[in-house]
Amino acid sequence: MKAGGIALIVILVAAGIVAFNTFYTVSEAQQALVVQFGDVKTEVREPGLKVKIPFIQNVHVLDKRILDLDIPAEEVIASDQKRLVVDAFARFKIIEPKLFYITVNNEDVARQRLRSLVNANLRQVLGNVQFSAVLSEQRALLMQRIRDAVNTEAQGFGINVVDVRIRRADLPEENSQAIFQRMETERKQEAQQYRAQGAEEAQRIRANAERQRTVLLSEARKQAEILRGEGDAQATKIYADAYGLDADFFEFYRSMEAYRKALGKEDTTVILSPKSEFLRFLSPVN
Amino acid sequence: MPWQNNNGGKDRSPWGQGPQNRGPQPPNIEDLFKKGQDRFRGTFGGGFGGKRGVSIVVAVIFALWLFSGFYRVDSDQQGVVLRFGEWTETTQPGLNYHLPYPIETVLKPRVTRINRVEVGFRSGGNDFTRTAAARDLPEESLMLTGDENIIDIDFTVFWEIKDAGMFLFNIQDPEGSVKAVAESAMREVIGKTPLETALTAGRNDVQQESRRLIQQVLDAYGAGIKVNEVNLQKVDPPHAVIDAFRDVQAARADEESAKNQAEAYANDIIPKARGDAARIVQEAQAYKAQVINDAEGQASRFTAVLKEYRTAKDVTRTRIYLETMEDVFQGMDKVIMDDNATSGVVPYMALPELKKQGGAK
Repeated sequence: MKAGGIALIVILVAAGIVAFNTFYTVSEAQQALVVQFGDVKTEVREPGLKVKIPFIQNVHVLDKRILDLDIPAEEVIASDQKRLVVDAFARFKIIEPKLFYITVNNEDVARQRLRSLVNANLRQVLGNVQFSAVLSEQRALLMQRIRDAVNTEAQGFGINVVDVRIRRADLPEENSQAIFQRMETERKQEAQQYRAQGAEEAQRIRANAERQRTVLLSEARKQAEILRGEGDAQATKIYADAYGLDADFFEFYRSMEAYRKALGKEDTTVILSPKSEFLRFLSPVN
Repeated sequence: MPWQNNNGGKDRSPWGQGPQNRGPQPPNIEDLFKKGQDRFRGTFGGGFGGKRGVSIVVAVIFALWLFSGFYRVDSDQQGVVLRFGEWTETTQPGLNYHLPYPIETVLKPRVTRINRVEVGFRSGGNDFTRTAAARDLPEESLMLTGDENIIDIDFTVFWEIKDAGMFLFNIQDPEGSVKAVAESAMREVIGKTPLETALTAGRNDVQQESRRLIQQVLDAYGAGIKVNEVNLQKVDPPHAVIDAFRDVQAARADEESAKNQAEAYANDIIPKARGDAARIVQEAQAYKAQVINDAEGQASRFTAVLKEYRTAKDVTRTRIYLETMEDVFQGMDKVIMDDNATSGVVPYMALPELKKQGGAK
């Protein structure tokens, strides 16, 4: 009984070890290679529970997903000699696990290779265009071109480069300072222009208003003089018509009126001759 | 699982990243087994349980094992059930069951949760308690515009999982990818937008265009991510030149105010001038009416008097003369001198001086 129990346990353990070496799982995100003495026997691309020959075959699991690749910032010189700092990243996928395993073996090596590939192509593609092209619609095209160039070489590793993207393409620090300076002077110029325009416009508005005022007032004065003239003319006519009826009487009558208005102030002293018409009756001689 | 050591990366386990929850850890079978054995020994003493005892223990362990397949999917999650690593089923929120480990496992990505990625700055706190004090990251936020100026942009990308399977199995670092792609896309969009446009009217276009671009790239990756919104937090000229930009705004305001002041001046003097003009014309009209009326009045007075005068010429004439003289001389100082007295001497008497001297004494 006891020996039988031990035997059972040994058998179970052995069976477990064998099973553990026979069955393996591949997840949705993985693909695997069954390697027999360094020789790739099968590529496993579908997930699930898989079987291999225990002990002689090993399983090499590779990622099936799109993998990250960060490329450190690099200074690149464009065709117009402008320097720019390019920080890019790539996304790649292992599409031929067997080829991948044979050529680069593992992800780390693959990353290193890809990094230098991307770098070289980045330099080459961006070095052939003007700096301004990076800041234009062409950017997407340039990235595509880099990706395609990297891809042709990466195919040899069983890798498909899904995308190479320029994350940042900036000017080096000293150029940035120059740009800041230019931006500042541009703004200053702009500000000055606005202020000058303001002054110009204000002058124009004021002058226009003053002109209008002058015109308005002079027109009014003109009209006023015309009106006054009309009034005077009409009055003159009326007077002439009336007084012309008897010029002699008019002279007398108007003189009397004028005396009344012109003389008769308190501080006037008049020297009269007793022979005058008014004092005629004072003198006894008469 | 010996093969997991072969894949090169330290933390490149397919489940190592992303915001998904691993769900409740399946109980370790060996532990359970040991515990069961211990309890068994404790109950029956020293392993003399016999066959019946063993089968009870096995049954209990089996039941526990089966029981470990229950799992809960929260309302913002989806359950992705993997049988030996193969995706077999997607389950909805609630209590669910999967065949116990190691046959099936479950991943629970938060599919309805809106995630955010900040570019150009980091706000403090977590999603719910964001502090106002955001830290600016100039190396992320400064970028070149299409006209070779530099602009300072902070933005946030809001995204959610569109397809749990793609999200989990297609891409190594979904969150990192969103960030990297967002940065790249924003720079691409800004790189073809002039500074002035980006600062003012083009803001919305930049948001739309970058959102579209991020989505397009992520779709090309098959990331299973939906970009809900790209939100520009801050679009400013760089710190170094912001004063100059503000001065432009101030200059524009100055321009406007100079114009407005001039307009105010114009609006002040022109109506006044119109008023003055009207007054001048009215005055002239008044004068005209006045002189005419005066003339008519005097004329009619004259003609009336003339009419009566004609009937008795001499008497009227004398009467008018005397009446006038009476009125005129009434208030005057009068000196009456004989003509004879004046002849031969200067006919002058300093009458006003005399009067003054008299007044002074």
